[in-house]
Amino acid sequence: MNKFFIKKLSILSFIFIPIIFLWHPNWLGFLGVQPYWPLFWLLPWSMINGSINGLIFGLFLGLILDSLTLDNNFTQIPGLILCGFLFGRIKLHRAFWVGHFRYGLICSLGSFLCGTLYFLQILLRNFLDTDAFIFIPGIKNILAEVFLTGFFAPFICSQLLRMFKFSKR
Amino acid sequence: MISIRRISTNRWWHKKKNWLLFAIFLFLVFVRISKGSFYKDFYFFISKPFWPGQFQKEIVLESIDQEYLIKLNLLQKDNTRLRQILSLQESSNNDRISAAVISRKTGSWWRQIILNKGSKDGVEIGNVVIGPGGLLGRVKNTSLFTSSVTLITSPESKLGVWVDRIQINGLLVGSGDNYPSLIIFSKDADVKVGDLISSSPASTLLPPNIPIGIVQSIDETLKSKKTAKISLLAKPHVIDWVQILKVNI
Repeated sequence: MNKFFIKKLSILSFIFIPIIFLWHPNWLGFLGVQPYWPLFWLLPWSMINGSINGLIFGLFLGLILDSLTLDNNFTQIPGLILCGFLFGRIKLHRAFWVGHFRYGLICSLGSFLCGTLYFLQILLRNFLDTDAFIFIPGIKNILAEVFLTGFFAPFICSQLLRMFKFSKR
Repeated sequence: MISIRRISTNRWWHKKKNWLLFAIFLFLVFVRISKGSFYKDFYFFISKPFWPGQFQKEIVLESIDQEYLIKLNLLQKDNTRLRQILSLQESSNNDRISAAVISRKTGSWWRQIILNKGSKDGVEIGNVVIGPGGLLGRVKNTSLFTSSVTLITSPESKLGVWVDRIQINGLLVGSGDNYPSLIIFSKDADVKVGDLISSSPASTLLPPNIPIGIVQSIDETLKSKKTAKISLLAKPHVIDWVQILKVNI
């Protein structure tokens, strides 16, 4: 039983992402915005298991997180798929990329990508009646999310990567 | 020699009593210069319990509170009666469900809260959620034990509202920040900063007369319509307990 848990640690930790996504504690936020939690899991997972696995689990994450949010018109799937795929490519350049603080940079870029893709959907949806009042909060959301995700990534990603490597061994 | 020594010990500054008198004199000079402010302030504190107005003020305020409560009850009864006569929408206080906020997304792309009451407790899609201050949003999704509420700050939310002072209907659209936008499709509408916004009597989604917010700023740059930013009365990012109104519209 114990062996099973250790072996499937990465998959089991996947279950906690939606819970943390819903948790949304105010004290952890910046300007009311939270870090983009799924990327913290997706980065180590993709780095260990490759682009295709990253892409598939990006899709799974997107499906789950979309079901938790009430916005039916917008989806997080494109951003997460793209991030999953790109994070998987990092494996090839491990010698150059891997390092505690580089996780922050990579996650920031991923968060920027996801945020921008989500914001583009909102802009396209409201293309005809968009005033400046949607534009400014959107930019604020992206920047705050990029900052927070980059800030927490070195702490969380390095621990998760160590955990996933241990479970794979 | 002895007599000289005697005289020197009897100098006036060698007596404590004289110094005490000098100190009292200085104090009185201070009182005189300050025009008795020290005494007046002292008197302020010791006479406080005996002031004539204080007790009377409490009685008057209590009476005013009672008067307002009675008036409010009478007006509510009147309102209900008139609404029944005119066959308008009704809202009753009987179908309220108290619920706690168990998840909150109020600052990012998603503006929603999740409550600890679901379809098991009788919550239905479309029910209205209010908190201390006024309207928070509408139930968009229910599970057995929880219900998800779209806040009025969400870009998904579009509601009919009523500007009471100028008696005009408008559209309240969430803009993804804490200040939803009020759109009035009339350039000549005389909306002013400080106007109260409540739910529209003509709305098909909300019961009437639920307070929503106050006009914070007005944008008149658009030609065909007037838009205004609304400061909400209920603050979704701090509220822990809400009430779900089961309305039959």
